[in-house]
Amino acid sequence: MTTDPASAVLPKFLQIHFLAAYPGALLNRDDAGLAKRLPFGSAVRTRVSSQCLKRHWRVTDDRHGLRELAKKEGVEGVRSKIAIEREVTGPLRDRTFAKEAVDAVEHAFLTKFYGKNAKDKQQRQALLFGRPELTWMRQQAERLLSENPDAKAAGAAAEAWLKEEKANLNQLRDQNVLAASLEAALFGRMVTSDTRANRDAAIHVAHAFTVHAEQAELDYFTVVDDLRDREQGDDAGAAGVFDTELTSGLYYGYVVVDVPLLVSNLTGCDRRDWRGEHDRALAAQVVEHLIHLVAEVSPGAKLGSTAPYGRAELMLVEAGDRQPRTLANAFREAVPTLDRDSNRSLAQRTARALTDHLAEMDRVYDTGEARFQAAVAELRIDGIPDGSLRELAAWAGDLVRHP
Amino acid sequence: MRHLILDLDAPLMSFGGDLVDAYGVVRDFPAKSMLAGLFANALGWERYDAPAHAALQDRLVMGSARVAEGQRQREFQTAKLEANDRGWTTRGRVKGRAGGADTYKSPHIRYRDMDADARVLIACRLDPAGEAPTLDALAAALNRPERPLFLGRKPFIPSRRLVLGVVEAASIPEALVAALAGIDAPHRAQVRAQWPLREAIGTAIATGAQEEELTDERHWPAGVHAGLRRVMVGRLAWPEAAA
Repeated sequence: MTTDPASAVLPKFLQIHFLAAYPGALLNRDDAGLAKRLPFGSAVRTRVSSQCLKRHWRVTDDRHGLRELAKKEGVEGVRSKIAIEREVTGPLRDRTFAKEAVDAVEHAFLTKFYGKNAKDKQQRQALLFGRPELTWMRQQAERLLSENPDAKAAGAAAEAWLKEEKANLNQLRDQNVLAASLEAALFGRMVTSDTRANRDAAIHVAHAFTVHAEQAELDYFTVVDDLRDREQGDDAGAAGVFDTELTSGLYYGYVVVDVPLLVSNLTGCDRRDWRGEHDRALAAQVVEHLIHLVAEVSPGAKLGSTAPYGRAELMLVEAGDRQPRTLANAFREAVPTLDRDSNRSLAQRTARALTDHLAEMDRVYDTGEARFQAAVAELRIDGIPDGSLRELAAWAGDLVRHP
Repeated sequence: MRHLILDLDAPLMSFGGDLVDAYGVVRDFPAKSMLAGLFANALGWERYDAPAHAALQDRLVMGSARVAEGQRQREFQTAKLEANDRGWTTRGRVKGRAGGADTYKSPHIRYRDMDADARVLIACRLDPAGEAPTLDALAAALNRPERPLFLGRKPFIPSRRLVLGVVEAASIPEALVAALAGIDAPHRAQVRAQWPLREAIGTAIATGAQEEELTDERHWPAGVHAGLRRVMVGRLAWPEAAA
């Protein structure tokens, strides 16, 4: 299996493939309370929807959660605090506008967003404006300056405009507080009626499904009222009879990170210029955190009764600039849960199916992706460098930092 | 005429139809607006580049065939909406939500249909062919796209390269049949297909063809689907692979 050195590829898309097992759980339900399913190839599988996975990654509070990253970045990050100088008024300074006029407009904008802390850059609140916000503010600043060449008039016009659009601008500011903005950079934010104000999600998450046929069991249970006194009558104490579906599965999941969009969402640059002189440190950290989240956060419901906590046992990351494709077809023929002809475990047979499919894709398409994996021994894919989850995250983060 | 053949294969895909209330239904064949959007996404265009989208959609002549029917599934989703959800807009006004307090008492329920385990071929050409982007530019963009590509919704990522190749054919049905002859998939005698009205059948063998009226073109500046397009829907004979 060919694996190009990382330096030879353009890490435009990071494709994350994972295998994770959850026994005796009900991870994601439909409106009848049954596990979501997917008919695929030779068998019906158990499925976990994309929105279920994303929600758990988004709201998790562990140390790789986005809120933790926002806290850290809020203290250390400087770039997000000088975005207005750099991206809104900065580009207007090489134009024909008078310096004093640009200064006046800049001052008005800074005061609007940072209040009394506007002067001291370190003291400013961390606002993470995305490209839609910065583009729109630059257009507005440009309009104000075109209409008011005189510095005094420009300042007054800016003040008047900021006052007139107070509600909208306050909303813009609130939406771009660091934590909220970081979340939007990865998971997107939509105002359906205004395509210019939207922030598209930088990740695409496929529905995860079991590599084998569904394994479901109806769990019959009763709820007993322990406080009931039997002496009081012929009530046997059974307070309720219920059933619920439990499923067990080894799931294949797939995520694509659109790196240019992530960098654009976090720095305000044009996505086509994502490799330019921008500070990609935050984007790299987001990728590192995401890899940990995908591997370590369980998409679970019924936490108290099924403890659906697991870790991915294979994490394979590919970097390249070709059309991203899922490796789902490796499991189109469901992996048999029982194989009487060999002593191989389900995990070993799953790894074999994935390895064979990947080799076939490489053979047909001359795939040029760089690859790295973190896997337990049984699921490791031959011919691909491997390391710990931390090393895998660092490898992917470096690709984003130095593309 | 040169036709570009796309091979849509994914565990899940959806060709969106007319959405009424919370029911997102799907159609059997991809809309013209979808194909224009897929190319636009590969080229890295922005959603608000309305004239470019409209021009590309106008030039597209397309048809499609269901190589594997798969199974239609109805996905159940819930969304928590809040009365005070708001967003800034480039129009200078905050966009909020309407509805009284009762509207937000329970989660918003949505149903979204999708096709599991389907495989669909698309044949398309550009008319006029000479303008930019050309068919070759579109094929190149799909292979090294500006953004990740998907089939109907973001989670529905293809499981193989979309570009199957370019074929020389006199019409869309002939291009589809040529693609069917070369594809590695379980063979069936006939496949359901759609092609433009008044497109020559030529050497293809079509049965049960009927005219159908569709609204599957987007009015890009307005952001809604509009107009009427007439197509033929029927079955195309799948030739045995050449020995």
